[in-house]
Amino acid sequence: MTSIGELRLHMEPKTLVDENRHQNQPRRVRRIVLSINGDSHSIEVDARSTLAEVLRENLRMTGTKLGCNRSECGTCTLIMDGRTVFSCTILAVEAEGKCIETIEGLASGSDLNPLQKAFIKNDALQCGYCIPAMLMAATALLRVKMEPTEDDVRQGIAGVYCRCGAYPNIVRAVLDVSRGQVDC
Amino acid sequence: MTEAKLLVQGIPPEPLDRPFTVIGHSISRIDGVEKVSGTAEYAGDIQLPNMLCAKILRCPHAHARILKIDTSKAEALPGVKAVISRNNFPDWLTYWYLIPQFAFPEIVSYVGQEVAAVAAVDIDTAERALKLIEVDYQELPAVFDPEEALKPTSQKVTPLDVPDSTCPRAPAAWPVGNLYEGKTDIHTRGDIAKGFQDADVVIEEVYNTSYQFHATLQTRSSVIDWDGENMTVHDSCQGVWQVSQDIAKSLGLPMEKVRVVVKYQGGGFGSKAGAQRYLHYASRLAMMAGRPVRIELTRPEEFISHPHRHATKTYLKMGVKRDGTLTAMEGRSILNLGVGSTYGNQKEKLIETAFELYECPNVKLEQVAVYTNTPLTGYMRSVMRAIGDFFLEAHMDRLAVEIGMDPLDLRMKNYAVFGDQVKKLPYSAKNLDKCMKISTDAIDWKHRDRFVEDNKNGPIKRGIGMASYMYDGVGMAPFKASADVVIKRNGTVEVLAGVVDIGGGQATMMAMLAAEELGVNVNSVKTVWGDTGPTQFAPGTHASRMTAEMGPAVVQAAANARKKLFELTAQRLSAEPIELRSALGKIQVSRDQQRSMSFEEACQLIPDGEEIRASGSRKPNPKDIVFHTFGSQACEVEVNTDTGAVRVLRVASAHELGKVLNPKLVDSQHYGGIIMGIGYTLLEDPEFDSKTGIMLNPDLHQYRIPTSLEVPEILPFNIEAPDPFFAYSAKAVGEAPIVPVAPSVRNAIYHAAGIWINSLPITPDAVLKALGKSK
Ligand code: FES
Ligand code: FES
Repeated sequence: MTSIGELRLHMEPKTLVDENRHQNQPRRVRRIVLSINGDSHSIEVDARSTLAEVLRENLRMTGTKLGCNRSECGTCTLIMDGRTVFSCTILAVEAEGKCIETIEGLASGSDLNPLQKAFIKNDALQCGYCIPAMLMAATALLRVKMEPTEDDVRQGIAGVYCRCGAYPNIVRAVLDVSRGQVDC
Repeated sequence: MTEAKLLVQGIPPEPLDRPFTVIGHSISRIDGVEKVSGTAEYAGDIQLPNMLCAKILRCPHAHARILKIDTSKAEALPGVKAVISRNNFPDWLTYWYLIPQFAFPEIVSYVGQEVAAVAAVDIDTAERALKLIEVDYQELPAVFDPEEALKPTSQKVTPLDVPDSTCPRAPAAWPVGNLYEGKTDIHTRGDIAKGFQDADVVIEEVYNTSYQFHATLQTRSSVIDWDGENMTVHDSCQGVWQVSQDIAKSLGLPMEKVRVVVKYQGGGFGSKAGAQRYLHYASRLAMMAGRPVRIELTRPEEFISHPHRHATKTYLKMGVKRDGTLTAMEGRSILNLGVGSTYGNQKEKLIETAFELYECPNVKLEQVAVYTNTPLTGYMRSVMRAIGDFFLEAHMDRLAVEIGMDPLDLRMKNYAVFGDQVKKLPYSAKNLDKCMKISTDAIDWKHRDRFVEDNKNGPIKRGIGMASYMYDGVGMAPFKASADVVIKRNGTVEVLAGVVDIGGGQATMMAMLAAEELGVNVNSVKTVWGDTGPTQFAPGTHASRMTAEMGPAVVQAAANARKKLFELTAQRLSAEPIELRSALGKIQVSRDQQRSMSFEEACQLIPDGEEIRASGSRKPNPKDIVFHTFGSQACEVEVNTDTGAVRVLRVASAHELGKVLNPKLVDSQHYGGIIMGIGYTLLEDPEFDSKTGIMLNPDLHQYRIPTSLEVPEILPFNIEAPDPFFAYSAKAVGEAPIVPVAPSVRNAIYHAAGIWINSLPITPDAVLKALGKSK
């Protein structure tokens, strides 16, 4: 234990409640239109809500997960205007007019896309909690780098933690897809 | 399997007399589609009508007396539906894996302890209500260091655990001073004084290991539904039956009124075994408010509020002859329990590896468990074994270097044949020598000095290290593990297992076992798990026990179901039931294979409206045989002597597990264990303020867990050997691969850079210090 002096103030309920919640801001309801996986959703949201919250709580699209709610873990990763973002740290109102893609949009009906199939085939999932984020990170990567190296893939998913340690299989799954090696 | 030895109640089923058709195949896990499509439902995804949100008020002091709590302002806040604290529940005991604990004691003993809890219509209101609760604390002196806490003059910690001699995990008595149960655990054999006299070289070292946090990606979440009579807990736990037991006991409800359901859960690693404290408060709130309650812990709460791997300090002295014969070992391990722990049934686990892994005639090892004003400790992926292996295997390398012997040779020379060196009890199987050979060969151990020339130039040094280990995961008390298999008229099969698939693929494995035993394709088998409703009592999925404990039960249930089906089928095939065999969905007469019918056709013979249902139950391990799994890892590392950074480049991991049920799933466990082990060894560095006991880095930015960038090349090897006590010989893998990571990396760092580091984690700073480049 290192001593860095009195830290009691730091500890007042502040760190024990969710810092990312704008609890001191007044509640203001706004109607916004979100474009998610190609569909438009017109909804009333609390202007303080994050995109992740609105997806999960208002729209009941719970495929996007939360692991920290403050940009630490990457579990909430989705694609906005072609780039991966942490949806826990973007307000829903900021996402208006943007093109949002989530895990729910990957499969067409019950047909999984090649990346999803490759994840299953390579056992690139354990508890599965990070997997929506991993899939979105890999999707974004494969759009800009069609033939990634192993290093590119590692970099591409480095913003998402997987505590189960499925990384080697995730990397393999992404490489398989980029090389057209999925036959499920 | 030749003889019927399967560890089940009653007569064991005859071993299958045909090659496997399902077992041993890399079948994709049966819940893959849900997990890749975002439809897998985790507890935090559940929204029930009228649901409230719960929040917990936590204590900011490491040790304090609560003089007064005023919750009136919180209660008056519109939208608040229930508030609990010691005002309304002063004597409440909660249960954690049946260990009784104070819910709202007068004395709070660590920073983060629960003081009150609130349920409100939304989370903002609940958080606002917490701020309105006024607590008067009288601060007390606190003690954080276990050696300090052992001094007679030390401040006494008030532990959360209440002694209960009927619970094997609870302390049997109150501590004396801060010493757990007032006594230490000592293991001895031979005469250590004589042993040290016989030694040519005696080495003494001190080893320190830090806490490790589970950092499951899903923070703890539950939704509790109370209808005035029955409770349903939608949980993220590792053991539905254990949570039901705990919650029922804590709330004074009969167990059948507490149904626990887990559909998916986002990582456990031991931390979600048994009902955790937050769940008791949330359940109580649901009962009081008469409405469903959701609780989700924040990431900082995850760090401070749930039990994690203990920090330890070990004094170790070992003697060896020049020819490599170990002559004596003496050690004292001090274990920081925090304010409470599942220590009870982990007793001696910390020192057991050192006691039994190598042959040594004279040993004295002592384990000292101490309460301090730090957070709770408990199960975590090989919780004690990973620590015990670190100091033993670190010391073995040091001895080898001192006597100029190859570390692999030293381990082979002192190979222990028996599971109990005094009573000479046999192991059910042990092929550690094979594991050592395979893992070291894979990394070209013989030529490990190939880096010597290159290492002379520049800051980058490469080296190779190894470590061996033993692990349990083969069935432990308290014991009750049963499963059912149901065959339906439409030809589908259900395995009902009251366990939780925590990501290891347990549901898939149960389905595979039943499919093999019944002789059907795995696609026709569904595993019903994670629900106390339709299942029988089963162990929690932790301690790598699922395959070894539930496996035999599932095989027995399937064998019994098959027998019933054969009885229906035999007449149609003009044969005796005993003459029938099934494989891959086909039932045949063994002496005339032309006479056959499909499994589906056979199922049609089940009378309308009925089904075949059969049970299986595991029996405890016999006492005169020692059951363990074994393994060895060798790794290659790179040390940057300018920056202190260590990179693990390659790990060869050989694990003896009896039989591989599904190679793909087993390999994933090697990856998971090794990657978490790399975090433990190099990255995960919790910091607590020494004055206040406040955790300084309760977040995933500063408490760093491995990303995809830290992952080495991993070469998994699974060593099979018959062990007919288990389902097709299959024992455990889950936790074991984390065990030798720290010592093998540490030994490789010495090989690369010539520095011995005896404390975990091995941060760049620690490396630079050892190199004399930083103070
Ligand atoms: S939830 Fe962790 S980064 Fe968004
Ligand atoms: S699969 Fe569990 S966190 Fe990645």
